[in-house]
Amino acid sequence: MAATLTASARRIIVRTGLLAIAGGSAWTWQRHLATSLHHTAVATGLALFATCLALALFNSRKKLPFLPLLRAATWTQFHIYAGWFSVLLFLIHTGFRWPDGRFECLLASVFALVAVSGIFGLILSRTLPARLTQHGENVIYERIPALRTKLQRDVEALVLKSVEETKSCTIADFYAAQLKAYFDRPRSLPHYLTRRDAPLKKILGEIRLLERYTNEREHAILAELTECLRAKENLDFQRAGQGLLKYWLFVHIPLTASLLLLGAFHGLYVFYFAGGLR
Amino acid sequence: MAEPTATISRPQRWDVPFDSQMDAAAVDRVLSIAPFSRIDLSNFPKSTPLRDILLNDASVRAFGKGEVIVREGDYGNSAFFIIQGSVKVALGKDAIPAALLGRRETHKKNFFETIGQLWSNPPHAEVRDTARYQAARDATAAARSGDTRSPIPGGSRSPLSRKDATKAGAVFLSDIPAVLKGGTATLSAGVFFGEIAALGRTPRTATIFADEPSELLEIRWQGLRELRLRAPEIKQFVDTNYRKYSLENHLRETEYFKDLSPEELKLVADQTRFETYGGFDWHTDYKKNRDTDPVERLRGEPVIAEQGQYANGLILIRAGFARLSQKYNHGERTASYLARGQMFGFKEIAHNWRTKESVSLRYTLRALGYVDVLVVPTSVVEQYVLPKIAAEALPKLIKTTEEADNPISPLEQLSGKLPTDFVEFLVDHRFINGRATMLIDLDRCTRCDDCVRACAAGHDNNPRFVRHGQQLGSYMVATACMHCLDPVCMIGCPTGAISRDATGGQVVINDTTCIGCSTCANSCPYNNIQMVEIRDARGEPLLDQEKKPVTKAAKCDLCLEQPAGPACVRACPHDALARLNIRDTDTLAAWLQR
Repeated sequence: MAATLTASARRIIVRTGLLAIAGGSAWTWQRHLATSLHHTAVATGLALFATCLALALFNSRKKLPFLPLLRAATWTQFHIYAGWFSVLLFLIHTGFRWPDGRFECLLASVFALVAVSGIFGLILSRTLPARLTQHGENVIYERIPALRTKLQRDVEALVLKSVEETKSCTIADFYAAQLKAYFDRPRSLPHYLTRRDAPLKKILGEIRLLERYTNEREHAILAELTECLRAKENLDFQRAGQGLLKYWLFVHIPLTASLLLLGAFHGLYVFYFAGGLR
Repeated sequence: MAEPTATISRPQRWDVPFDSQMDAAAVDRVLSIAPFSRIDLSNFPKSTPLRDILLNDASVRAFGKGEVIVREGDYGNSAFFIIQGSVKVALGKDAIPAALLGRRETHKKNFFETIGQLWSNPPHAEVRDTARYQAARDATAAARSGDTRSPIPGGSRSPLSRKDATKAGAVFLSDIPAVLKGGTATLSAGVFFGEIAALGRTPRTATIFADEPSELLEIRWQGLRELRLRAPEIKQFVDTNYRKYSLENHLRETEYFKDLSPEELKLVADQTRFETYGGFDWHTDYKKNRDTDPVERLRGEPVIAEQGQYANGLILIRAGFARLSQKYNHGERTASYLARGQMFGFKEIAHNWRTKESVSLRYTLRALGYVDVLVVPTSVVEQYVLPKIAAEALPKLIKTTEEADNPISPLEQLSGKLPTDFVEFLVDHRFINGRATMLIDLDRCTRCDDCVRACAAGHDNNPRFVRHGQQLGSYMVATACMHCLDPVCMIGCPTGAISRDATGGQVVINDTTCIGCSTCANSCPYNNIQMVEIRDARGEPLLDQEKKPVTKAAKCDLCLEQPAGPACVRACPHDALARLNIRDTDTLAAWLQR
């Protein structure tokens, strides 16, 4: 059985096992504190805050790439499993129920959003890269607008050439009516999230139909147009996918900062009412 | 009112000579010694006369008894000519313990310098400290005029002459007979050495030290190249040495030859042929033909040995790369690639010797660009080499039926590890040259560009690679310097600004001596060197006297100065990026099959 597992599957099993052991230990520790009449919420809260701080350090590590502070890949693995552990700690801390105070509700909501955005990012980073690779030519995100503009100009030049060479406006009219809007702007992100390729299929179908009514030279131009359509489709897909992979962090990181601030305030608040700061 | 754009002198080839203390008297002296005295000065163009070559590309250096001149394993960019005295070559691999060689470590940033990059990196792209360039010029001028008081303001680079600079790190071997593991060979006045490593862009094959107080002329390879080109006497001299010593050294290093006695080795060497295939500047042909049909390209590669022929000799690759291919239907499939130190035909020769059969060559060997090979005749291998090898160390017998059933089974070093399409990809694009090739697994890469940002952070905010390049399936070879086994970028550099780091062999550019001629960038077959327009601290482009932008060559230096090594690898959060030696197929295969 073990021999049939890949190295990465074995790694996941081992780490998940360690996570389960850590979660179980935290639960046992909390029960032990409860039975010995300690403030379990304070202890688990401090552990949770410390875990969140450790998780947030990953972003700081990214700002110091030249220091020998372990590889970022190692940090990522720690971040993933410590993230799951923080969820377990959160559940233990809250007693597996949604808090009832307004501030606690806000704090719990922010934690939940951070966790969900983190899981979303994890799923994205494990699924989207392969789809981007398989979809078409790999392009640099920042270059996409320039590449799209160039493609648009190439297509317009091709259409003008078709008029000059074939003395016919059929392809030019078709371009103006059906294709110009497609080439003018990128398609929206939801389009790709739902994996709908019907509009492209529809346009390609129309081109195939048009081929019945065109001569050999026009066939060649339509073939080139088809290639441009596919290139545009790939640029849009790369833009949407790479954008998603970049910008989910713009949700996760600010939320994490808010969580740390609210968490610190929550701690001070608890200490204040527990008489710790008076 | 905006300040005027800064103007600096356009960098020239000999702004910073090899040795600032080399003067006209020393040149006269060298020119009075054979073979330099026999050189026809009219063979040299007015722009690069012999006197100027010696003045700017050479240095007369004195060595004390036991002083190490070159170390085995170091990457050298210069050759030596013994003016007087004698030197000893330590024979055999690792003839002198590494600890005694006093190898100088490359400067690594300390903790504070490393942290300081957080706020000291300039906000503009390609900012340079222009005072450094002027100071280097001033230091040269002062040294030539006899004034040695020319400190470089604020710079750590001292204006020491080559003599002073090298003396500062001089290493002496005391009690030489005790430290030597093997024997020595003596070279006397009038002999060149070190040219093999300098011209071949390979590590030094032996440690050489002064046998008595000696005076040597050190010539950087740019000057040596000119001398070979313009002076037939020097060319003949150097080429004879090149052939003689490279052959013997290579045989000595080859695994199956190591048990041969010196006499036997000499007998083998005497009968070994030295053959060369393809052109030395292979990169120009490659760039010209890389977009042609791969089948046509393969047909254009010179055949060294052909499948189906009798193995007339054991072929040892001395320099360059060779493609190992096997007929498949109407074409040829690449089974593997061979580089320096690897051999071809041994399995067939050993099989025939053991079984008295006559198995022909199972693969075709073709030159990928420039290839130097040594051919040891089969009869010589059978007479001297095979009897010395233990039976268990001999290669397994060839199973002819199995070979026929599985015609593309790669050679031992690749068997079952690298898929054929990947081998074809590596060979077609000549990535086999890479010692630190940046490979990206696109199925893992989230295109976050953390690698690019990390690279920029370590290089004054300038990324030194592009996360884009040739792709096969989900693997990409990024546009980053591969620190090649054969760095052809170094071939044309007129100043020696691009060179190998002596210790690690990384190909690095000295920004102070780079004159922005673009030769290296044009030579690089992989477009991994960028020419950048440099700026002053205000972000203004630097112009020369003719108001043209001053450019410098820039590329990945494998974070040589950073304490943690290549930042790109360390920064990748998804373990998608690796710097791999393509010849290390075990590691490469393991990385692909993670």
